[in-house]
Order: sequence, then C-alpha cells, then structure tokens
Amino acid sequence: MDTRDEPAPALGRQALAYADTLHNLARYLTGNEADADDLVQETYARALAAAARFTPGSNLKAWLFRILRNTFISGYRRRRHDPTVGGLDTVDPAVAPPDSAGWLRDDLELDRLRKIVAEDIERALMTLSEDARTVILLDLEGLTEVEVAEVVGCAVGTVKSRLARARAALRQRLRDYAR
Amino acid sequence: MDCPEVRLTLLDHQRARLAPEADAEILAHLEGCASCREADAVERALTEVLEARLPQYPASLALKRRLAARWPAPVEDRRAIRMRRWWLPAAALGLTLLVVALVAYARIVPRPAPVTAMVAEAVNDHLRGLDGRRPVEITSREIHQVKPWFAGRLDFAPRVAFAGDDEFPLRGAAVEYFLDRKAAVFLYGRRLHTISVLVFRADDLPWPTTALTPLGGAHAYVTVARGFNVILWRQGELGYAAISDLDAAELSQLATRLARER
Repeated sequence: MDTRDEPAPALGRQALAYADTLHNLARYLTGNEADADDLVQETYARALAAAARFTPGSNLKAWLFRILRNTFISGYRRRRHDPTVGGLDTVDPAVAPPDSAGWLRDDLELDRLRKIVAEDIERALMTLSEDARTVILLDLEGLTEVEVAEVVGCAVGTVKSRLARARAALRQRLRDYAR
Repeated sequence: MDCPEVRLTLLDHQRARLAPEADAEILAHLEGCASCREADAVERALTEVLEARLPQYPASLALKRRLAARWPAPVEDRRAIRMRRWWLPAAALGLTLLVVALVAYARIVPRPAPVTAMVAEAVNDHLRGLDGRRPVEITSREIHQVKPWFAGRLDFAPRVAFAGDDEFPLRGAAVEYFLDRKAAVFLYGRRLHTISVLVFRADDLPWPTTALTPLGGAHAYVTVARGFNVILWRQGELGYAAISDLDAAELSQLATRLARER
C-alpha cells in the first residue's frame, strides 16, 4: 500500500497532539466534561473523514478548532438539554464598549482583579456568549486574529472588535466578583 | 493614531504582532496618553489573570486513548518492510548479545536501591509541573475547594492534614502519575518557591526501612536528588512525597505539618 494514498495516519499523529487544547475549548463551550468528550470525539471523527481535504502546510490547529466549532454549532448545540446564555454572533449588547474600564482605573482595582479566584473567572467566562468565550479562549491559545477569523468564519476586523468587546464584557462580569 | 484605534490595537501590541513602525506609533501614543496607558494596564492584568488562573480542562487519558484508537496508525511503506526482512535476523542476534551483556553487567554492578526509583519519579513529577507539561488543573487557596475536585479523578481519597497558611499557602492541585498509579498533587508556595506534595496509594512500593527521620506522626526518608530536596513518608494506606528546591529545613517544616497526627 502506498503511503501517498494515506494522508490521514500521518495527520492523525499531529492532530492528536491538540487533544488537550481542543478539549479545553469544548469544555468551555458545552459546560460539562461528558459533552466536551463527545464534542472532541465527533471533531476528530469529522477531521479523519476530511483529512484528504486538509492542505499540508496550512494551520492544522486552526483547522481542528474550526471543525470543533462547526460541529458544536451544526449538531451538538441542538441536542443539548441546557441552552447556553447568549447567542453565537454577538457579545451581550448591554455590555459597555471596551474603553469603559472605569472600575479598574487605579491600582487598587487592578489589585482586586489579580485576587479573583479561578472559580469566579470560570463562572464569569461562562456567562458570556459562546462566540465571546470562543474568541477569548482562542486568543489565549495564541491564535492570531487571522487564525481566529478562519476558525469563526468572519473578517479579521470583526474578530478584532469582537475580541475587544468580549474582554470588556468579561472585565465587567469580573467586577462583581472582585468587590 | 487616535485613542479608539490604539485601544483596538492594544492586544496586538501586547502580543508583539505589530510591524515595528505600528508598534512604535502605539508606544509613542501611550507615552502621552494616561487614559490609554490605563487601558493597556487593564488588558495586561486581564491576560495575566486568565493565563494564570482560568482553569484548564485537558483531555483525559481515556479520551486520548479512544481518539488514538479511532485514528489509524501509520502504515509502513514497502521499503520499510523490505528493509525489515533483511535486518530482522541481524537485529535479533544483536539483541541477544545485548541481553547477555546486560545480564552480565547486572551481576557485576550492584543495582540502585529501589527507593531511588521513587525519588527519581517524585523529582520528575515535580519538574513536569514546573515546566508546564502538567498544568495546574485547579487553582485555589482553599483546601475545601481543592479536595472535592479530586472526586472521581482518583481511586482513593487524598488525605492532607495541612490546609496551607500564610507561610506555606496552597496554590492549587492536579492529577499526576506516580510510577504505576495515580497521585494527587498539591501545590504549596513559599516565597517564590513551588513545593509539590504528591499523595498516592502506598501499597506495593519499595519504601525504605532504614535511615528514617521522625516527622510528625510518621518516619520519613529525606534525600537530595538533582538539586531538589525530597521527603518521602507513608501514613496508613497512603504515601507522600514533598519535593522542592526550597531549603531542606523549610521543606521539613511543611512536611511535618502535613504528617502530623490526625
């Protein structure tokens, strides 16, 4: 058997290296471990089926994230018992624009932010829309705005503003825990 | 570049994604704009908090095994198979000679004491935490948040007698493998030092029986490996290992608190 006919196995070894980071995003999208496991498994199944269409040399991590997100949107979310807060395309419009960081205007407020415990940060993040959570997590994963745009399927400028609004929304949520 | 533009580009600036000219423009703006400097500090603080404290949820080993099983292993190409036909007998002969040599060597050179394997594994586990291969899975100073987190992740209940204090604050926890079994890892701090405390099932391990030092309600084996101080002890069904580059006397203080009678 000629290996040129089998792009999947070689790709699989590389793809499996991203299992942790994919599971992390899945966990924050689904909100629980069991559903995150299912979502990651479904993502890998789809990636395996589409392996021949992956362009060697392109960004495998971003490709896998895109499959995971599309899987979540297309099928998974409809089957869920507990609907997620917020929509897919917007950050809560009630959230103030990114320059309204007035509550953090001095060292005391920054100090409070640094004392917030892990559980509160997670809780605050989970109150955001799925899209807001996604862009924040992908940014933390080190994806560039171009790569995030590829994952979420929108323009780079949109990612930039969406990320700024998402982080502003998160700061606003954290304010309640920081007091 | 005006303030709204700068605000929208701050993350790119902080992540060094801008061209040198654009970056210089941002820096010049920040120099003269107190409001944007504050926004810059806020964004940095938020990133710092998220990177350090947002809980991470890596895939479980069971899930990784399931994924690996579904994705087929690479198939050997024909050349590799042809090569194997020729090289297999030669390799088998070489392997036999190697085994004979190793057996002879093992009879001549005394084997390291079994406890050495436990010490080496404890140091390796500590290093895996320090270099980020095993991330902190729950970050908390509260033992009553940390201990319940282990439920369902271990096949035993990790008992720790010390919840942390101002001298040795609890920083978080994770699950790790210690030799052939799972271990709870409690992370304590002391100034800038990190101390890993592993708790694991003590059965069927080569615990040392000599050169032990009294420690709280137990007797401990105290040693140094690769520059790290290591203290091993067992209490009942559980084994404990404390590892750190912290001064030996200070590490002993923490171990004593952990090993006190319950």
